[in-house]
Amino acid sequence: MTSLSTAAAGAIDAFKIYGKDDSEVRALDGVTVTFASGKFTAIMGPSGSGKSTLMHCLAGLDSLTSGSITIGDTNLATLNDKELTLTRRSNVGFIFQAYNLIPTLTALENITLPLDLGGTPVDQQWLDTVVDAVGLRSRLNHRPSELSGGQQQRVAVARALASKPRIIFADEPTGNLDSRMGTEILTFMRHAVTDLGQTIVMVTHDPVAASYADRVIFLADGKIVDELDNPTADQVLDRMKRLGS
Amino acid sequence: MAAPVTRLTIRGVIARKWRIFLTILAVVSGVAFVSGAFVLTDSVKKSINDVFATLSEGIDIEVRTSIAFGDEATAERDPVSVDVIDVVAAIDGVRLAEGNLLRAATVIKSDGEPLRTSGPAFGIAWVGPDGLDGRTIVEGRPAAGPSEVTLDKSSARRAGYEVGDTVTIVGPAGKGDFVLVGLNGTGKTTNGGGASIAAFDPVTANEFLGAENMVDSIYVAIDEGADRDAVMAAIDSALPDGLEVITGEQSAEETAGAINDIIDIFGNVLLGFAAVSLFVSAFLIFNTFAIIVSQRLRELALLRAVGASARQIRTMIIGEALVVSVIATLLGILAGMGVAKGIVAIFNAAGAAFPSASLIVSPRTVIASTVVGVGVTVAAAIVPALRAARIPPVAAMRPELGFNSLQKNKRLVVGSITTGIGLVLFSIGVFGQPGGTSGTLGLSAVGAILLFLGIASLSTTVAAPTSRVISRVLPLPFRPMTRSVPGRLGSRNAQRTPRRTASTASALMIGLALVSTVSVVASSVQASFKEQLQGSVTADFFVSNGPGNFQGLPVAFSERLSELPELSAVSPFRAATAQVNGDTKQIGAVRGSAFGQLVDIDLTSGSVESLDDGKILLHRDPARDYAVQVGDTLSILWLNGTEQQIEVGGIYDDATIAGNWLVGLSTLQAVSTATPTDFFIGAKIADGVDIEDARAAVEEVALDFPSAEVQDQAEFQQSQEDQLNQLLIIIYGLLIISIAIAVLGIANTMALSVFERTREFGLLRAVGMSKRDLKRSIRWEAVIVAVFGASLGIIVGIPLGLAVTTALPSTFITTTVVPVNTIIVILIASIIVGVVAAIGPARRAAKLNVLDAISTH
Repeated sequence: MTSLSTAAAGAIDAFKIYGKDDSEVRALDGVTVTFASGKFTAIMGPSGSGKSTLMHCLAGLDSLTSGSITIGDTNLATLNDKELTLTRRSNVGFIFQAYNLIPTLTALENITLPLDLGGTPVDQQWLDTVVDAVGLRSRLNHRPSELSGGQQQRVAVARALASKPRIIFADEPTGNLDSRMGTEILTFMRHAVTDLGQTIVMVTHDPVAASYADRVIFLADGKIVDELDNPTADQVLDRMKRLGS
Repeated sequence: MAAPVTRLTIRGVIARKWRIFLTILAVVSGVAFVSGAFVLTDSVKKSINDVFATLSEGIDIEVRTSIAFGDEATAERDPVSVDVIDVVAAIDGVRLAEGNLLRAATVIKSDGEPLRTSGPAFGIAWVGPDGLDGRTIVEGRPAAGPSEVTLDKSSARRAGYEVGDTVTIVGPAGKGDFVLVGLNGTGKTTNGGGASIAAFDPVTANEFLGAENMVDSIYVAIDEGADRDAVMAAIDSALPDGLEVITGEQSAEETAGAINDIIDIFGNVLLGFAAVSLFVSAFLIFNTFAIIVSQRLRELALLRAVGASARQIRTMIIGEALVVSVIATLLGILAGMGVAKGIVAIFNAAGAAFPSASLIVSPRTVIASTVVGVGVTVAAAIVPALRAARIPPVAAMRPELGFNSLQKNKRLVVGSITTGIGLVLFSIGVFGQPGGTSGTLGLSAVGAILLFLGIASLSTTVAAPTSRVISRVLPLPFRPMTRSVPGRLGSRNAQRTPRRTASTASALMIGLALVSTVSVVASSVQASFKEQLQGSVTADFFVSNGPGNFQGLPVAFSERLSELPELSAVSPFRAATAQVNGDTKQIGAVRGSAFGQLVDIDLTSGSVESLDDGKILLHRDPARDYAVQVGDTLSILWLNGTEQQIEVGGIYDDATIAGNWLVGLSTLQAVSTATPTDFFIGAKIADGVDIEDARAAVEEVALDFPSAEVQDQAEFQQSQEDQLNQLLIIIYGLLIISIAIAVLGIANTMALSVFERTREFGLLRAVGMSKRDLKRSIRWEAVIVAVFGASLGIIVGIPLGLAVTTALPSTFITTTVVPVNTIIVILIASIIVGVVAAIGPARRAAKLNVLDAISTH
């Protein structure tokens, strides 16, 4: 168990309930979890297990029915919309499955978007590090429509890293990519955690993707049912099969 | 085949009801103008015709003086001697013959101010309880004797009088006090149809109204069973020369017809604005359907893939437009009734007394509204429908294979040709002026429409670069907007779909181009007018009937002023209609000995004084047209048939006040016995008299003519300019409606774009954009579009205005002015337009649920 002081984010007794009485759906049914700083965590589970809901709530995009979410030392429940926006801008990074970029902005403008929104000066050295790491230097002035799917996703990863957030959430980041490009993105995310000290939480249903993480959390019916440290793809697949049965 | 297409059409409209809401609103406003114009004119005409029909119900025959030329209804006829009444009464079959006497007479309200009426203010001779003129007594009794009067009930109420009060009335000969002994009505109504009517007994009327034993015409009722044609023939043969006999119906028709013409002008103005707002609406409709089609690309391609024919797709989109247009037309007709009712209410509140009439929605109104509403909407949807039908089925899987839109080069060519043809037609219309007023207006209107369409098409090419420039230049006075994220996004979004930006901006362009054109012409006319007034007015005082009163001043006023020792020169300005060598002209009549000191007409030959010797003066333009010089003679045919050979006594350059033709007062008095009234009176202060003393003396005389307004030179010039300004305010006011539609258009495009960019906004919010910044970026985009439209409007409108100014006669325009202030106001207003248009869409974007927006599962 990681001590709370080094936790990047966490949920305590998180419930998310839709509907009432007979039609009640418990998307999250008492989840308590912490995500350690500097670690790469994967959240897995079958469809409807609540993994996306958990991530949305952790990221401050959605609110809990009860329980609490913390990012760093901040309890998200105490924040209004404006403060949540500021938290996302400076403490959270996002990588979505698709539609990650603003089509009217260039690759560079997309990368620095969260910084520009807050008027935060760009840390040029860090930006160079990130840009070189994702290998996009020659494409910085291109619009998203001029980039391949893999390149677009690399821009998205670079954007998530640019503001040095406390935690990065990735929602099926390789879901739309072929396996070669997917491997490239995952390798880079691994690199960001190991060598650049970032914290990543990734929702995925791909055991191979999950095998890049330090730790895998398994969700089913809104509850954490299992977890696995330093997983291999086979171990993950094995656990998934057991969950499914 | 029809069923699934119909179902898809209906579902399509329902699914997009909010997206087409603004479109419906735009069509409604255009149709409302059309139906409003028809409903208003039909209803008011009907009620006015009813009034005149009632008035003439008892009149079988009317006897009046004939006119030599011109319009029977509006001519200022010479009066008929009262002696003729006896001649007519003696004829076999005539039951009753009575004198109809109707003269200007203003009621003074209980607070001492003259009563303002929307119609004329009349004094009439009351011919008794069985009178033929349809007037009735609704309270009290008719006036009898020299100190009694009755007023129409609504005027009495508005003036604050009750039966028994003493009423002051100003007639042609001056002021008089009368006891109000009763209230009169007209037919079934208790008002004078917008006029005020003071009725005296015939003897008092003859005296007080200065009729000098003359009447305007004679009303005749025939015996029961008598043959009207025979009686008319008998009267005709008994009449002296210069008199004619007509039926009562014809008389009523003529009078009503003259008023109907005025109402028609009003209706046509409304229709003109209907045309402008519908034209602007067409852009909005086009844009909405174009955007909706591109947003449904996948859906349409899917339909194609599962077997819908291109034709079915086309039918579906046009069907949607049809549904929209039918809803909008129905609402528009209803709104038009509201417009008509509102206009009547506004006029009544301003003092008019429109006879209360129910609104008439004639089949013509419904047909015209439907044709216009449905026609414009469907026509505007045709291009988007054709484009929708071109979608390849494979686009269902690969949306990037969407449209192959008009090639840029092709667009340039089509746009240029349309613009060119428009320019040529406009120029021919304005400069060539073929086919009189309607030809000029028609050609230049068609030219302007083509020009606008052409520019709208061409503007697609420049939309992106111009937006870029605007977003760089506009924020310079503020902080550099382009560097902030909202500014950058707004600017990029405006450049994103140039076609959409261009057609959205085009709607605003049209309204503002018209405003620019009008303002160039108006400023030039105003500046020229001011310059001319300053150069030509030398009188110290001007007296005229106050604003809102189009009746002239009683001639007694100028006669009284002439007697004042404080004034050295006094001349009235009167007008008469005459034919000069066969062409009908308005001729002014002035006192030759005085006029030269009051108005500088830039005489180039002859003398102003020659007017008093019975000569005629004319402006250099008609002098050139008729090829006459001082000493030549012109043949003048007066309205009553008198023909004279009049010698030209002088030629002048400045027609600002004098008009093109001038004769002496004595010349006019010698040929016309019609009761004259004066448009205005000019007066010069005698040497050595203080201006304050002179003014006091004039004001004292004016006490007997309470409706008169005494102005010094500066006040006169100001009031002339104010009149021009009022006209302008009305024109601008109506053009604002087209701008309002353009605001709707921008709001609509923005709303549709917001819908389209849901995912983008979700992403922006997720990575930390505040609601405020999101709203700011949308606002900024709308402002760029609006400023683009305004710039186009100014660029198109100012040359059009300059062209019109150049085409106007040189007597009218001496200076050309480009109103820089107005242009700045337009640009600032367009920024406000953008901000206002963005309110709804921005709010909607900010309300988007971030989670819904980004969820892919």
